[in-house]
Amino acid sequence: MKLILLLWQREGISIIRNIFQMILLISIVFLGIYAIYYGYSTITKQQKTIENVQTIEKNEFKNYINSFSNKRTSVKEKQLFNIASDPAYAWYRHEYHAVLNPHSLAHMSLGQRDIEPYYRKLTAASLYYQLFENELANPLKLYIGNFDLSFVLIYLFPLLIIVFTYGLYAEEKENGMLPLLRLQTVGLRKILLIRISFYYLLIVGLGILLSSIGFFIAPKTENLTIFLWIATILCYFSFWFALMFFLVSLKKNSSLTAISAAGLWLLFLIVLPAILNVYANIAYPIDNMSLADITRRKSLENEEDLDEAKAVIEEYLHHRDDLKGAKALIDVNTMSKAYAAFTALNDNHHKKEVVDYFNQIELRQKWISLFQWANPAVNTQSILNEITETDAVIFQAFHQSITNFHKEITHFYFDKLFLNKQIKNKDYENLPKFNLTVDYISKIQNIKGGLIEIIIISFFLFGLSLVLFNKTIFLKALKK
Amino acid sequence: MKSQIFLIAKKELKGVIRQSSLKILFTIIIILLGFAVYGGHIAYKHQITMVETAQEERRAEWLDQGNKHPHIAAHYGTFVFKQKTLLSLFDFGLDTYTGTSVYLEAHYPHEFMFRPVQGYGNMIRFGELSAALVLQLLLPLLIIFITFQTFTKERETGTFKLLVSQGVSIRTIYLGKVLAYFIIISIIIVPFFTALYFVGINETTNSVIRDMELRIVLLFLVYIGYLWTFTNFSVWISLKSSNSRSALLTLLIFWVVTGIIIPKTSANLGETLHPLPSMKIYKEGIQHDIANGMAINESKEKRLVKLKENYLQKYNVDSIHKLPLNFSGIEMQEGEEYANKVYDFHEKKLHKKFELQNKTESLMSFVAPYIAIRNLSMAFTATDWHSFNDFQRKTKTYRRHLIRTMNNDMAKNSRHGEFYEYKAGKNLWETISDFKYKTLFVTKVLKYYRIELASLTFWFLAMLLLIPSSFKSKMI
Repeated sequence: MKLILLLWQREGISIIRNIFQMILLISIVFLGIYAIYYGYSTITKQQKTIENVQTIEKNEFKNYINSFSNKRTSVKEKQLFNIASDPAYAWYRHEYHAVLNPHSLAHMSLGQRDIEPYYRKLTAASLYYQLFENELANPLKLYIGNFDLSFVLIYLFPLLIIVFTYGLYAEEKENGMLPLLRLQTVGLRKILLIRISFYYLLIVGLGILLSSIGFFIAPKTENLTIFLWIATILCYFSFWFALMFFLVSLKKNSSLTAISAAGLWLLFLIVLPAILNVYANIAYPIDNMSLADITRRKSLENEEDLDEAKAVIEEYLHHRDDLKGAKALIDVNTMSKAYAAFTALNDNHHKKEVVDYFNQIELRQKWISLFQWANPAVNTQSILNEITETDAVIFQAFHQSITNFHKEITHFYFDKLFLNKQIKNKDYENLPKFNLTVDYISKIQNIKGGLIEIIIISFFLFGLSLVLFNKTIFLKALKK
Repeated sequence: MKSQIFLIAKKELKGVIRQSSLKILFTIIIILLGFAVYGGHIAYKHQITMVETAQEERRAEWLDQGNKHPHIAAHYGTFVFKQKTLLSLFDFGLDTYTGTSVYLEAHYPHEFMFRPVQGYGNMIRFGELSAALVLQLLLPLLIIFITFQTFTKERETGTFKLLVSQGVSIRTIYLGKVLAYFIIISIIIVPFFTALYFVGINETTNSVIRDMELRIVLLFLVYIGYLWTFTNFSVWISLKSSNSRSALLTLLIFWVVTGIIIPKTSANLGETLHPLPSMKIYKEGIQHDIANGMAINESKEKRLVKLKENYLQKYNVDSIHKLPLNFSGIEMQEGEEYANKVYDFHEKKLHKKFELQNKTESLMSFVAPYIAIRNLSMAFTATDWHSFNDFQRKTKTYRRHLIRTMNNDMAKNSRHGEFYEYKAGKNLWETISDFKYKTLFVTKVLKYYRIELASLTFWFLAMLLLIPSSFKSKMI
């Protein structure tokens, strides 16, 4: 124990004396704090937009409800009442919003929240016409990505680990300290491990410190989430330390160790993922052009042709057994019903194309995830995104939930429209509500799986290095 | 002196060739470059087929929509798709992050839809491998690896003093070394750009770019300048460092800071300083201005009354029914024109924000040359924001022309109060020619990139200044 403390103290002093290393540490802390600030401001802005959107929706429906008790003397008031009570207007005028609220830790790992839409405006009109709108964004900014805490932890912390550890063996050798160390009763491997453990504690501590700032400014966070986050960065840092220990145990000179470490950093964080993305592009190209047509506004061929309108309604009712009673009522509000039926049928007709599109995306993701285990950096990014619910999977769930929500909205209005019922004041108590359905069990399982993969790789590397380290000593002894 | 430079270069080259680890790195870079171009080429071919099919289908749909009221035709409109340019196989630029199609209909100018990145999943945030990425980030790393100990090693082994004592100036040694490394880099990039040039001028499938030759020559020049700068800088750091380790560390930190950290932080800072509104708020602002007018007494109702009065006066009649044209058509077109004005106003404000955001980053290119080369490379391959913006602008003009033609036809050929009675046919649809996009001439794009050009020139000149003078070197 005494030896450990002594060696740690020595390392501590050497860091404090080394201006360069101090600057590095301090810059990382500042960059981390800026990253948290950036993430926080991004999420705060998104939250404001969400609040805004929800207020607009709330006011709109409040006006509808109020219109029931108004005297309806002015034209505007009459119009409002019509929109509020007549399903023939209401189905395409009432605007709902499906919102993907940010997770309390979303600011620490922004993931896809800048690329994918986090809210959608919906009416009962054709879903696909409404589904593919983008949020305003600067493409260059999207291309460059977010400077959030997960970026600092995943990209920059490994560099810190490399800088602190690459010379642990080679520098002693180059400075001529090695023979001295060999004279000690304590084994060289033990000394090296104790020294590495000092940097491990230092860097992990720094990672946890920065993360704690992120936890601290989060509104309310479950302990499990905090635990998972810390476990993830522990695993990831352990991987890098194991990797460095491996490189150090090869006992090459310090420049070569540094080059190899930089090369591996480049490989894991830039080259391998970039190659995989290009390959995924070739193997699973995504054709979104085919979807263009379905986002178009469409209408009946001959808008004044009553027979055509009725035929469309008939076709729609064919799919809706629950509206059997409505068949006899085609003649009331025919045009409005025809449009409603047309938009619903339109969605039906295009369903396959949309499903194919999303299937292709899923296939691509599945294929990519086959390689994820081999790259702890990518794995960690996915896990952090999953923890903070900013990953691609959550947006797929959001999309699926929107489809269900739209179905609910459509039923709410179309049932009344086809059965010739008015919307009553009390119906407003049972408006369709958006529910996000997320498969939390598979989410936790994914996270667990990812963490286990990283741990296994780290242990493997660590074990290998221990053997290698001894082996080289062993081989040298033999040569002598 | 010249022959000495060549001698040193030759010696240096021999040294590099002997190192097997560098041979491996060199091979890796070439393989990556090949793979990137191959991937880019496949993506390009694929995209071209998709766009062509989609565009042909929409065009046929437009022409064969049968006889109908022109305003209905305008209502359901048509689509325009963003074509990939041949050079995007070299630098993907923002293609993954801009929309790919836009729906053109009356009353409502849509935004571009379908950013390809939305189908790419979490992984895409790690970037795509393009030839440009290899030349911008990976090749400099190779340069660092082969140059960091060029002087420090001479110093550590004592050969530096030996050389200098034999009367060779540091300047000569320095130039010799830079020459050697630059030859190595040229072995990669000269054949690469030559090949790109010949592919570029012979490719006939895509006629979007009109000045292919010039663009490729410019690309070559900026890359040569950038890589030469990097080589020079690395050799200089090696000269100034006390040992190999610190040279390597300095260079690696420079690479990370200027290639990864600064570009990212400055882009994010740009966004923090000039935040964008949300789409919802942006669009509401536009709708508000269309309804209430951008100035006092310009509300929709008032505009309509004024328009009516003007037309009655112009044709000297007392009722719109007596006008020789269909007033509804006039009214619709007037609505379009006003909406266009509002849209242009808001869009200009928005684009100003984009530009301010991007400028924050561009200015940082004086610290991080990578930003300059990245932006220039995108600009020359027509995959940058300004090229996309130009594409967007042209689709906008096309849309306006389409809607105007439809509304004018309605005003001219139908009577007031009539709607379904009047039907236009293929003759009218054919007057709208197919949308054919041509990129801006690169000379016109250059004006957006003054900062980047200045910064690259600055770096280039600074490197010339760093070359040790022959006078000084004699003193050592």
